[in-house]
Amino acid sequence: MKLQGIVSKLLLLFLLNGTSLWAALTLFSLENYGPMALLLITTALIDYIYLSKRTRASRWLLPGTILLIIFQIYPVLYTAVTAFTNYSTGHSITREEAIEGLIEQNTNLVEDGAQFEFKVIESGDRRALITTNLKDGTFALAEPDGFSALDSAEIPEGWQLIDEDRLREADYQSWLTKLRIPFSESTILKVESFNTAAEYQYLLRYDAGLNKMIDIATGEALVEKEGAFYYLDGTEMEPGWRIWVGFGNFTDVVTNDRVRGPFFRVLIWTFAYALLSVLTTFILGLLLATTLNSPRIRGQRVLRSLLIIPYAIPGFLSILIWAGLLNDDFGMVNRALGTSIPWLFDAEWAKVSTILVNLWLGFPYMFLVTTGALQSIPAELSEAAEVDGATPRQAFAKIKLPLLLVTVAPLLIGSFAYNFNNFGGIYLLTGGGPAMNDSDVAGATDILISYTYKLAFASGKGAQYGLATAVSIIIFFIVASVSAISFRRTRALENIN
Amino acid sequence: MSALKSLRKYHRQKVWWRYLVAALALVFALMPVIWVIGAAFGPSGLTTQTVIPRVFSLDNFKVLFNDENVPFALWYRNSLLICTSAAIMQVAIATFAAYAFSRFRFKGRRLSLVGLLVLQMFPQLLSLVAIYLLMYRVSLIFPAIGTGSALGLILVYLGGAMGYNTYLLKGFFDSIPREIDEAAKVDGATAGQTFRQIILPLAVPMLAVVMLLSFIGLLNDFLLASLFLQTKEEYTLAVGLQAFVSGQYEQQWGPFAAGALLTALPIIVLFQFLQRYIVEGLSAGSVKG
Repeated sequence: MKLQGIVSKLLLLFLLNGTSLWAALTLFSLENYGPMALLLITTALIDYIYLSKRTRASRWLLPGTILLIIFQIYPVLYTAVTAFTNYSTGHSITREEAIEGLIEQNTNLVEDGAQFEFKVIESGDRRALITTNLKDGTFALAEPDGFSALDSAEIPEGWQLIDEDRLREADYQSWLTKLRIPFSESTILKVESFNTAAEYQYLLRYDAGLNKMIDIATGEALVEKEGAFYYLDGTEMEPGWRIWVGFGNFTDVVTNDRVRGPFFRVLIWTFAYALLSVLTTFILGLLLATTLNSPRIRGQRVLRSLLIIPYAIPGFLSILIWAGLLNDDFGMVNRALGTSIPWLFDAEWAKVSTILVNLWLGFPYMFLVTTGALQSIPAELSEAAEVDGATPRQAFAKIKLPLLLVTVAPLLIGSFAYNFNNFGGIYLLTGGGPAMNDSDVAGATDILISYTYKLAFASGKGAQYGLATAVSIIIFFIVASVSAISFRRTRALENIN
Repeated sequence: MSALKSLRKYHRQKVWWRYLVAALALVFALMPVIWVIGAAFGPSGLTTQTVIPRVFSLDNFKVLFNDENVPFALWYRNSLLICTSAAIMQVAIATFAAYAFSRFRFKGRRLSLVGLLVLQMFPQLLSLVAIYLLMYRVSLIFPAIGTGSALGLILVYLGGAMGYNTYLLKGFFDSIPREIDEAAKVDGATAGQTFRQIILPLAVPMLAVVMLLSFIGLLNDFLLASLFLQTKEEYTLAVGLQAFVSGQYEQQWGPFAAGALLTALPIIVLFQFLQRYIVEGLSAGSVKG
């Protein structure tokens, strides 16, 4: 290898090692030991592979493989794991974090308790308050672990005052809101504004021996159920935490009325949408290919260039354009036809629209591939059939079509799998709508993938990650088995011929 | 003589319906395009549009470049930067992997190839939630590469690089005779030199098409981009135009059509130039996003 090459390789490795060392230190300081270890091991592996003389193929495969593991394999595993939890808004943290959060968040102002005015001061990493107790006029230096008395409200040596402008910065604000300083045995100081605080008491305490949350005032032990604490009267305490629910999310899909109804409606429509998309585009593509693939047609090249324009336009644009064209009041389609069809706002018409738009987007692709496949079928075959007395129609149906199907079958399966998860084709056109009723996350045209997206990110009912990942797993099994079965079928088809 | 005449007549009779089908298909394919062109150069609202604008105006384009609420030029730049860099790196990664799969025999080669194929059944789309949660946690520690950053988005895009393109390119490399490599080896070339000086030049047209298709696929991504990019100035064309037009077609139709035209035109031109290669790639089975 040339010197230049060696130098640039070493330089790159040097940069990489430097960066990952810095990142590892950052992770170390935040006590993220697991990710830190993974990062260091990966870096060492990269160094070994590119410095050792014995590695060959791995040098070429490494960059892709690392990215594949991080952004495909890990997410797949994480999805599989999350599907068995109740991970959702209100159940996103661990039990320990939830207990800590519940104690910190549930506080009550002490009647006739102390009131404070304070200044925030800072010395290096330490932050503290100088408090003036308005009730008895005493001064104190209050640090997160407790109070120590002062003679005056003057700032002690070595400390710096933080003025109110800086307190508005996110970092200080969150420190102040989370601050709980023990004041007396059962009470704490809690900040109320940028310069006042008051004496509060906790409502809940955690009994580690009993492993239970206790209401301090009444002594009632809270009931623990499905990753949350409940009072006996049924009041749920937020936040809850993540727990394993086994196959709960999957059985919900079958048994829970709230989930089952929309899920099966969406499932059926997803199949219909994918199938109809493949069929309509294929039939139109084939029709055009057989009609136009004839020596008697002039200007075939120009025709073809014009017909593939819908395919050349980026899909997201075409769909957004169609959403405008299909606008029921002012859209060009209704005006051209002189109708006022609610293309996107009626459940049934919206379904028609999604298929129609997908037909427009997809037929040029089918036209191109079927034209290619038809041209690759030897002309002798149909000529021989004609000599044997077959009509052109018979020759097409009995000879050309089966041969064509063998060639394009894998592409049809691919197209089915693609449309089964064609998020953009639905979401950008109708947003999954129109809504069926208020309580459903799924609208009339939602397919499984857009339903998943809404469950996780956009339902307005909080994020239901557990259920969303369970639906993802179901989609995977459907697509995988449909593909597996049909690939086997088409191979059988090939063997026959 | 008369026999020839009647043959011609026969042909004319049989051919008219083919032209009819072609004409109908052209109307279906091009009508929306013509409407959009008309809208782009006409007045701004959907209410007032006619197929051919009564008054020719460039107001819609002016909105795109002068209105601060519609930073179209920024979206265009973001899309170009994000999609070009991700497409180049995607194709580079896929090319390296394809070369290794095509030219080296190593332990686990078959298993890796099958594994890659199975993994394609689980598109990134499905692990969306996991990717989001992963990158959200990353963003808390390293904001530069987490959610809310274009760099993070590019990284996620690269995670999908080892998929279908690797297969396509492996097939292509397989079709280049190994004797060429071996001759180079005899002359003392390393694997890297053989790749750079012999294989790569042969693959340039193929790589250009794969890169164009990757680019378009990325340009089309709305889902991941909408999760990662959070401010108007960071948006790509897909996220920006969707946010701009959805729910307010009546008001924004004209400027949107102008933006659509500016976005689609370069790609349509590229497509026409590369048509022949793209068709070959299609028959090999790639599906554009």
